[in-house]
Amino acid sequence: MSESGGSNSAADVAARAAEAYEALGGLAETVEDEWQYVTDLVDAYLPSIRGLVGADPGRALAADVIAAVDEAICEIALITDPHKAIDWLSTFPHLVALALGGDVDRRAGAADGAVGDLDTADLHTTEPDGDSPFRLLRGGR
Amino acid sequence: MRFQDAAKDARAVVYAGIQSDPLVSRAATLLEEATTAERLLARAAMNGERTDPETWRRVFPTLFGESAGEGLRGHAEQILAASLEVAERGEAARSQYRGAVVEELTARLLARRAGPEEPVKRERRVLFDGVRAEIHPYDVTLESAARPEVYDCKWGARGINADVLNQLDDARAHAAEEDVDLRVAIVVFDARRSCELRLDRSTANHDQTRLVPLEFLDELKGGRP
Repeated sequence: MSESGGSNSAADVAARAAEAYEALGGLAETVEDEWQYVTDLVDAYLPSIRGLVGADPGRALAADVIAAVDEAICEIALITDPHKAIDWLSTFPHLVALALGGDVDRRAGAADGAVGDLDTADLHTTEPDGDSPFRLLRGGR
Repeated sequence: MRFQDAAKDARAVVYAGIQSDPLVSRAATLLEEATTAERLLARAAMNGERTDPETWRRVFPTLFGESAGEGLRGHAEQILAASLEVAERGEAARSQYRGAVVEELTARLLARRAGPEEPVKRERRVLFDGVRAEIHPYDVTLESAARPEVYDCKWGARGINADVLNQLDDARAHAAEEDVDLRVAIVVFDARRSCELRLDRSTANHDQTRLVPLEFLDELKGGRP
């Protein structure tokens, strides 16, 4: 069992992260002017967090991985400022993905190798990615 | 088209003090050579509720765990220390520090590829014949005579708004009227996906504006957009 009292399977850890993320979204959406952006973030990232379970939801995770996700959950649970919550709606999924070794950049329905894919290995290199939007948004120049 | 120093109003004078704080330079130097994971660490720690380093070491086992090499751990520790110093400046000041770090980082990365006749400058206006100057200066400019570039820098994707996008696109369009190929870009120390979600909802013209999100900051030093 982890410090938060949950179990150690990938499914349970991802579920805890998703639940915490939904709560963060609830706080963030109180900023009325940003309701649409908050909704877009939650709609995009929540399925991705759940998807971090991977092919084997029952697999046991290493203790440091569980601790990383639970610590990140603790961090966002401390947030009371809805404006800061919006910032963390963008950050939290990437922390969870880094810990679990997955990808939250993939758009729903995107094929493997599509623009938007960025796996964990990419996060530990300083080499530019070949699918960079910086390149793609050059407008063909 | 020509570049000009922005007027120093009271806000600019105060902000200049933050920009010149050695902490900003130290953080930018560390982030210049950082991996995306380390930049995520900086974003999280600078924006975190807690400032005890052990918390953040637990959140990032790939940077601080046994599997990380000694070199990576050491570099990540320096980034964490600088980031927590920013966080400890307090809620009001930290946002200005974070912005200054992103600007300094952008300028440093651009300077890596800028030629001797292409100075990288800060807080500059772009003036066009017969066009009233914009109120807000550009955060970073690469002032090449042949191929100038202007950059607006944001801490988060939420900073992407119609005013910023319109100003960038207006500058590009005015430059084009003078047959100048001005490249305009927005640098965001935030996840690409979040930036794209923000841009997807924007009705401001941005099809010729480049996005440089956190994951791709190194492209700034690698070649002209």
